[in-house]
Amino acid sequence: MRVLVIGSGLGGLLSAACLLRAGHEVDVFERLPITGGRFTNIEYKGFQLSTGALHMIPHGPTGPLGTLLRYLGSDVQIVRADPMATIRTPIEKDSTDYTHGFQDIDFHDFGKRFSLLNKIKLTVLITTTRIFPPKKGSMADWCSKNLKDDWALRIADSFCGWALSLRAKDVPAAEVFEIIENMYRYSGSGIPLGGCKGVIDTLIDVITSCGGKIHTSSEVSRIIIEDKKAVGIVTDDGKEHRGDIVISDIGHIETSRLYDANMATEDMEKYLTSIKELKPSAGVKICLSSNEPLIGHAGVLLTPYARRINGINEVTNIDPSLAPPGKHLTMAHQCVEWENLNRLKDEIDLGLSDLAEIFAGKDYEVLLIQSYSGEWPVNRASSGTDPTNKTPFEGLYIVGDGAKGKGGIEVDGIALGVRNAIKDILNQKNQSID
Amino acid sequence: MEISKRCVGCGQCAAFCPKEAIIVKGIAFITADCIQCRICMAYCPMKAIEESV
Repeated sequence: MRVLVIGSGLGGLLSAACLLRAGHEVDVFERLPITGGRFTNIEYKGFQLSTGALHMIPHGPTGPLGTLLRYLGSDVQIVRADPMATIRTPIEKDSTDYTHGFQDIDFHDFGKRFSLLNKIKLTVLITTTRIFPPKKGSMADWCSKNLKDDWALRIADSFCGWALSLRAKDVPAAEVFEIIENMYRYSGSGIPLGGCKGVIDTLIDVITSCGGKIHTSSEVSRIIIEDKKAVGIVTDDGKEHRGDIVISDIGHIETSRLYDANMATEDMEKYLTSIKELKPSAGVKICLSSNEPLIGHAGVLLTPYARRINGINEVTNIDPSLAPPGKHLTMAHQCVEWENLNRLKDEIDLGLSDLAEIFAGKDYEVLLIQSYSGEWPVNRASSGTDPTNKTPFEGLYIVGDGAKGKGGIEVDGIALGVRNAIKDILNQKNQSID
Repeated sequence: MEISKRCVGCGQCAAFCPKEAIIVKGIAFITADCIQCRICMAYCPMKAIEESV
């Protein structure tokens, strides 16, 4: 079978490698001169910054992505961060910011800050929600209904902001509890050696050694549909490429612009209406350089009392090669709410003043401020809203951050989605994955 | 070079600019150091960089 992949982001490359391993012929078409989409490195002033992601794999070497990479024969090393996360809290109990000093507590001790009543409630809730996960409402609704505690909502906002680039009010509680379940299942985050590009390079090795082809600077301008089936693509040089399967890594909405959506059927209209409602998540990443470590470990520092910054990591504590010798690379992430996108510069200024308080007395330099929204977002489908990998057309599948698997954070969600799509494709051919 | 409204501020162009002529804060700005080499255009994922007329 011949497979055509649109986009060489993580989802596209994972799909290509899976199908090559299963013995199929694969061509990947990438619009840009570089591969990796929003999951690779860009060099800036000697630092290995990234095109998007924060050089981190949410569930580390044993999570969905780590497992899939090993299965594919990638030899990237993913080093587990220890501690997984710390939480910066104001030193004065009634203070709501970091200006009077702070202390960092281990993530696993977050329950200790609750009142006695809420501590008891939490113990009960941890067990009951695992058996009966909430079906309706947002994570913020769940917190205010069950815990009525400012601390609970702050932790939820900080965690959802860091992991999903969303406020707790914009994430279904069911999705958060699925994520928590995955944290029990797969454990915490890890840093791929070489950063995001460390992963991408090994995937490209797998693809080329299996005879797959990657065409960079080659934009797909059209998907050819015949009898409600995807049968090929046209590249911007006018060349037609025929195939049995088309996999698109550019999300449901952008993909729908590549075919004639006027072939009106009831299924098609329903699909187009549902994907129009998708909202990509937005966020800002502020990259910092310092001589001394600002955090001191490679896990996440959650900052629930900052105005905008949700969490920060310092990957050079595991992989010093991501910065020039003697330097550290620290990356802060802040979620940007949809209604604040029109005042993005003010949002960035709030993030910068947060950092001045979080790292008060420390010496650092702002390297680059990177923002993501709209058609180049944090996630094409905000977590908890992902459609499936299927489209109304036979042979046309969507992978990547616009079609993540349930309960999957960021790139682990992409791996879960790819797995689902590949399973479906191979099932049709009576093949199986794993 | 000119930055269009499509720019989201991802900073990818700044990393490929040989002259460090791009500043980014929410959106990219081309400074006077630009030598019109057009390299940034190819790397922009939003097709937000256009040649000045």
